[in-house]
Amino acid sequence: MKKTKAVTKRLKPYVQRKEGNDSMQDHRLISMSNIDKSYQMGKNELKVLKEVSLEITAGEFVAVLGPSGSGKSTLMNIIGCIDVADCGEYVLAGENIEAKTEDGLAHIRNKEIGFVFQKFNLISKYTAVQNVELPLLFRGIGRKKACEKAKKYLELVGLGDRIHHKPTELSGGQQQRVSIARALVGEPKILLADEPTGNLDSQSGREIMDLFMKLHAEGNTIVLITHDSDVGKQAERIIHVRDGKIYEE
Amino acid sequence: MSLVEIFRAVFINIWASKFKVFLTTLGIIVGSVTIILVIGIGKGGQEDVAEQFRNLNATSIFVMPALGKTTQATLGLSDVEAIKEGAPSLSDVTIMVSGKADASYRNTSYSAGVTGATEEFCNIQNLTVKYGAFISHYDNERRKKVAVIGDEIAELFYGDEKSEAVGTDLVIKGRRYEVIGVLERVGDSMQGFSPDEGVIVPYEAAEKYILGRTRPRIMALAKDVDHVASAIEEITEVLNKTYQGKSDAFMIRDAGSRVTAAQDSARTMSVLLIAVATIVLIVGGIGIMNVLFVSVKERTKEIGILKAIGARRKDILLQFLIEAIVISTSGGLIGILLSIFVMPLMQYFDLRVIPSLYGYVMALAFSIATGTFFGYYPASKAATLRPIEALNYE
Ligand SMILES: Nc1ncnc2c1ncn2[C@@H]1O[C@H](COP(=O)(O)OP(=O)(O)O)[C@@H](O)[C@H]1O
Ligand SMILES: [Mg+2]
Repeated sequence: MKKTKAVTKRLKPYVQRKEGNDSMQDHRLISMSNIDKSYQMGKNELKVLKEVSLEITAGEFVAVLGPSGSGKSTLMNIIGCIDVADCGEYVLAGENIEAKTEDGLAHIRNKEIGFVFQKFNLISKYTAVQNVELPLLFRGIGRKKACEKAKKYLELVGLGDRIHHKPTELSGGQQQRVSIARALVGEPKILLADEPTGNLDSQSGREIMDLFMKLHAEGNTIVLITHDSDVGKQAERIIHVRDGKIYEE
Repeated sequence: MSLVEIFRAVFINIWASKFKVFLTTLGIIVGSVTIILVIGIGKGGQEDVAEQFRNLNATSIFVMPALGKTTQATLGLSDVEAIKEGAPSLSDVTIMVSGKADASYRNTSYSAGVTGATEEFCNIQNLTVKYGAFISHYDNERRKKVAVIGDEIAELFYGDEKSEAVGTDLVIKGRRYEVIGVLERVGDSMQGFSPDEGVIVPYEAAEKYILGRTRPRIMALAKDVDHVASAIEEITEVLNKTYQGKSDAFMIRDAGSRVTAAQDSARTMSVLLIAVATIVLIVGGIGIMNVLFVSVKERTKEIGILKAIGARRKDILLQFLIEAIVISTSGGLIGILLSIFVMPLMQYFDLRVIPSLYGYVMALAFSIATGTFFGYYPASKAATLRPIEALNYE
């Protein structure tokens, strides 16, 4: 079984981050510095991320490109607080992530982050609207309000007439729209998408990309992993991941 | 997540795997029925004991042939006289024999319990004569062939006209006996003597004509409860004197210790049944735990998704724990319903079961406790899964 290696956190002195704090902090949504992540594979340690530093400002559309196995998903999971770095510093929307408990991270995932997965990750026994409601329910919002809001976002992604369908009764493209609605419904500060078109035919893939472009135009901050360099070209900022390091154009 | 929403999610999940859930509940259903039966049988046993001894004076003392011993010595009227003399702690002493004999009236015949007794018997056994009179000393001394009959015998022979019985003749073992009294109905029988189905004749007549000298017993009443112990001592002394060396052919029992013994055996039965119920419930609980473990495993990916969109530990923990509790509660309730149908069947096993609210409450309480206890571990396992690992689980 794969297991992550627990490494004692190497905390940087707080002062280092302080310069320009007051003026810049509002715009800097994500600020990572020297993030390391490695997996223990038997006796060998596989370093997946090596001292990665990254800053993302509110309103940006960032495309993450890179060969398979280069560490894109690992980086994305750390950004989305689904996974934690071995060491390094990560500040999201002004909050220091390393200091968070598991429930604290759950709260951040719920409020600040909308995650769209390659394999949709919808819950199959729930209908579209029930899936979309979930993040709001975890926030303690009542069902009626949650349902109204979920419907609104399903309409926004063009599925107003499919709200009571279960995932198996929807096409891949439609399922991905449901999952985008679920990511958006909590009005997160940032939308993360890990190869959202990877499991779709080219037509649906194009439609999903158009949706992301539209969402960006409406002011959403988006980080999107893709293989497709055509897609990359539409983005205003491109990050390349290679061998656990990132390079910017 | 609010509790209402967690319950909704739980019901959706249970509905999605209803067949498996039903199989899981079986263990709890059986456990719940067992508890209700245990408590019902326990109550039935206690009630039986209480009824057996309802007509028994707390101060009664019995001298009877020791169990299993071939009779080396037999009690007789002379012993009654000796005890009367030598046991000042007693207020009343009598001797009796009992056995079965055919009694008939006109064309009706019945194998009745026949008791040979003296005048004191009526008082010692708390009997009430409804019509006529009880056997007197005079009847005994003259070995008169008279009989006092119980309520059921009277019913059998005379139907509704029980009062008409007095003055008629019964035939017992070929001889005629004049009915001189009819007893008030007693209800349930006492150990070794059921007045309602019995015929009481004078002691000497019974011994001579009907039963022979078959293990007569002496019955006595102490003056009050505080005199029971000293009365036993006095009786022992008298018997030792009369039957030097052979007095272990008799045993002396007082009503108090007989009640205690009977209650003890009823209690032993309850303890045994409680042990069975506990085992059944534990097995049922392990069943729940097992199903929940499988369920956690099957739903690992789902748990990962829920965590990725913001579920806290508590949300996941409660969802699985409440699932366990809902399953076990329904099992308990189904068990209660089922027991209502099962309890009447127990009479075919000659077991008296008294249903009670207490039994139902205990069954439900234990079912819920089992579900909570065995559900907690799998639920906390689910709650502490790491999101990334759960999400990548295939
Ligand atoms: N849980 C894990 N255990 C061990 N190795 C892992 C695990 N997750 C990912 N890896 C390895 O880390 C590297 C980067 O994976 P990933 O971030 O998924 O790459 P990408 O998304 O760019 O294709 C790969 O070599 C992969 O095999
Ligand atoms: Mg990947």
